[in-house]
Amino acid sequence: MTSLMVQATSSGAGKTTVAAILCKHFTLNGVNTVPFKAQNISLNSFVTPSGGEIGMSQAYQAWACNKEPQTDMNPVLIKPHGPGQSQTVLGGKPFNGTREEIDKYIADAYLRSELDNDLVIIEGSGSPVEINLVDRANMAVADMADAPVILVGDIEYGGVFAGLYGTYSLLSEKHRQRVKAFIINRFRGDMSLLIPGIDKLEKMIGVPCAGVLPHANLLFPSEDSLDFISGRGSEAEGTDIREAWMENLERIYAISQKYLNYPLIESFINE
Amino acid sequence: MDEDLLKKYWSIVKTELEEFKPGPNEDCNYYPCHFKGQDCAYCYCPFYPCMDERLGKMVHKENSDEEVWSCQDCFWTHRSDVAKLISENFPFSEEPPSDEFRSEIKKKIEEKCSVSAKPLMILGATSGAGKSIIASAFCRIFSDMGYNVAPFKSQNMSLNSMAIADGEIARAQYLQAVAARTEPEVSMNPILLKPQGDDISQVVVNGSVYRNMTVTEYYEDFTLNEGVEIVTNAWEYLRRTKDIVVIEGAGSPAEINLSECELSNMKAAEIAHAPCILVINMIRGGAFAYAYGTIALLSSERRKYIKGIIFNNMCGSADCLEPGIKKLESMLGIPVLGVLPHIEHALPEEDSQDLKSSKDGSEVAIVHLPRISNFTDFDALSLSGVSVKFVRQPDELYSARAIVIPGTKNTFADMAWMKENGFFEVLKELRGKVPILGICGGYQILGKGIYDTEGIEGDVKVAEGLGFLNVSTVFDTTDKKTVQVCGRLENGEEVRGYEIHMGKTESHEKPLITLDDGNPEGAISSDGMVIGTYLHGIFDLPPFRDYFLEKSSISNHEEIDYDAEVDKDLDLMAETLRSNIDMKVIMKILEDGI
Repeated sequence: MTSLMVQATSSGAGKTTVAAILCKHFTLNGVNTVPFKAQNISLNSFVTPSGGEIGMSQAYQAWACNKEPQTDMNPVLIKPHGPGQSQTVLGGKPFNGTREEIDKYIADAYLRSELDNDLVIIEGSGSPVEINLVDRANMAVADMADAPVILVGDIEYGGVFAGLYGTYSLLSEKHRQRVKAFIINRFRGDMSLLIPGIDKLEKMIGVPCAGVLPHANLLFPSEDSLDFISGRGSEAEGTDIREAWMENLERIYAISQKYLNYPLIESFINE
Repeated sequence: MDEDLLKKYWSIVKTELEEFKPGPNEDCNYYPCHFKGQDCAYCYCPFYPCMDERLGKMVHKENSDEEVWSCQDCFWTHRSDVAKLISENFPFSEEPPSDEFRSEIKKKIEEKCSVSAKPLMILGATSGAGKSIIASAFCRIFSDMGYNVAPFKSQNMSLNSMAIADGEIARAQYLQAVAARTEPEVSMNPILLKPQGDDISQVVVNGSVYRNMTVTEYYEDFTLNEGVEIVTNAWEYLRRTKDIVVIEGAGSPAEINLSECELSNMKAAEIAHAPCILVINMIRGGAFAYAYGTIALLSSERRKYIKGIIFNNMCGSADCLEPGIKKLESMLGIPVLGVLPHIEHALPEEDSQDLKSSKDGSEVAIVHLPRISNFTDFDALSLSGVSVKFVRQPDELYSARAIVIPGTKNTFADMAWMKENGFFEVLKELRGKVPILGICGGYQILGKGIYDTEGIEGDVKVAEGLGFLNVSTVFDTTDKKTVQVCGRLENGEEVRGYEIHMGKTESHEKPLITLDDGNPEGAISSDGMVIGTYLHGIFDLPPFRDYFLEKSSISNHEEIDYDAEVDKDLDLMAETLRSNIDMKVIMKILEDGI
């Protein structure tokens, strides 16, 4: 009956993976955990056993929870198909209706997820501070679920401190309160070089770092069409891709034991 | 200079003017007395002593108190463009002309060839933000305007280097030199770091290997000492031989863990007194946060260098950004100079991370449709040791071992895109030579045609497909099929997948799969080289991967004229920049400096 939300400085920063790692961690610790992403904009989708369509990344997180994918895990899937055009999938089926109906459905789906489980791991979407837009998929969801937020920054392309500091600074005071920790993802190289920067950032925003995840050639289903444009490669062996995704998740989860501050993360849901 | 000496001096200058022998004089014992590649047409300068303190200074004569004008450090009259203008503008006269007259001519030439280059620096909030290509575009624009332009990147970390006449530089600076229409030189990229592992790099200085260094060694020792001097010297050389220098930063200037010892961003801006433009990549979102965060984390001293922001890689209309841009501008007090659209081009990107896969012919090419869906279908190919290449240019198909047309959210629009971009012609050429697979929308495209009787996917009612498979697709109901299925290939092996599509396909070909419920699925051509299926996830299990890859053979790769492509793309990027950013504002930034 509680929740924890993963947001990030941009899309492709590693929200999906971090959320899956947390799904796995809490599931292994006997917490009945379920993934939730209110609104997913993606053309990569999966079909649930009941024949409903959801984002592939929530299917992946469901497997991380040892659960079958369900449409409540991703109540809204938006599939863009042309300039300014998209198809809305609500509860697994194409939908043509009002924003109010959609918002109501999301709230109900969240409520069902929360009632049936101990912990809902919520994934945000893109950046929470697109100041030209009304945000529906990040802090609005955190408010609905009264969820503590972990902010993920991707260091692979550099600028991670700017991304984290900028994201935090552009949030409203109320929403800054929700941010309990940040995680730096995809780090390579000598950790000692990073520490002075982390110390400075922690002091500047008053939020602790919950860990630095190393870069791994991870095989996981990506959400937006950027990972292949940038040629992000992955390596894996095996036969069944779903098994390979789960094996990769186990690998990164094992690595995360060393790099993530799990007691700190656990303290957010026990509060 | 006294009159006799001047007369003697002038008789030599007169001969130089009459004979005009441009270019370096490598036979001279003193060459190169100013800089390598100098123009020696005016070994004796027609402006001597110009008394221009930007070019020379008074020095004591050896063993004497007498002071003379020294132009030892002047590069200006030894620039080939300046030498040419001297020969065109200096009239012959038996008698030495007056100082006033000479200084008038000098001023006139200075209008075209600046005594000291004006710098413009392009920073990025992250790597891969598009700095490199935007810097190239600026090089091309300034060159179009008639300026003598050079690119400069104090330090580049890249495995993509080019061998040039005097050593090795990063490929990005080579490309920028091509954009600037100037000879590439090692000074354009005095420090090149070639990563050898996660924390060790080969350091290349002025084109030659210096030595290997660890990250710690490099930042804590090298950059603070030799590094600054190497960069300053290279910058000084370009400053004195060019009109405009377009400087590129590296990564983010706001790495607060490194800012004391970084050489490639604000330190370089300080060395060159360069006004800076910050480029933000929009493609992953979070652009406002990155813009705000990057500038906010700079010291107030360094923040003054930032004169504008460019948002890059905008997909769709930029109008919706307006309220955000206004907020950002008022928070930072720095203008947003423009929003550049995402452009397809063949120009190499700056970092090794962005490199596409090799052209060794072992790849499966996936047509990168604008509305591609379910590309996770191809993750599984890596399990069979095959690399996947997403292609935007039909020419790239020639080197592929197999071709896949993937699913799409809009078959009509993406089929039209394929036709407009020449994919149909190339695919018809390759039909039968390499296996071609169409999944979902790709399957529909392989057929004879698609018919939308109710306008479900848009306004187009009928469109002709590739016709490789004798199948046709009708969209006549808004019903969307979403179902998990299992079945067997003709060889009896198992496949698994799921269908997500609208439209119904009628096939007159042999089916690819017999589903467990007994229904046929997909189609295969009589020669077996063209396959269509609705099943996403079809590569998930090994049998279909093996079945498909066994059909592939290595085809001959035809060379395309890469240089011409690059030049065309540089013009395209320059035009994109010109049409989205007011160049008058840019010229004012250059003029005003810091």
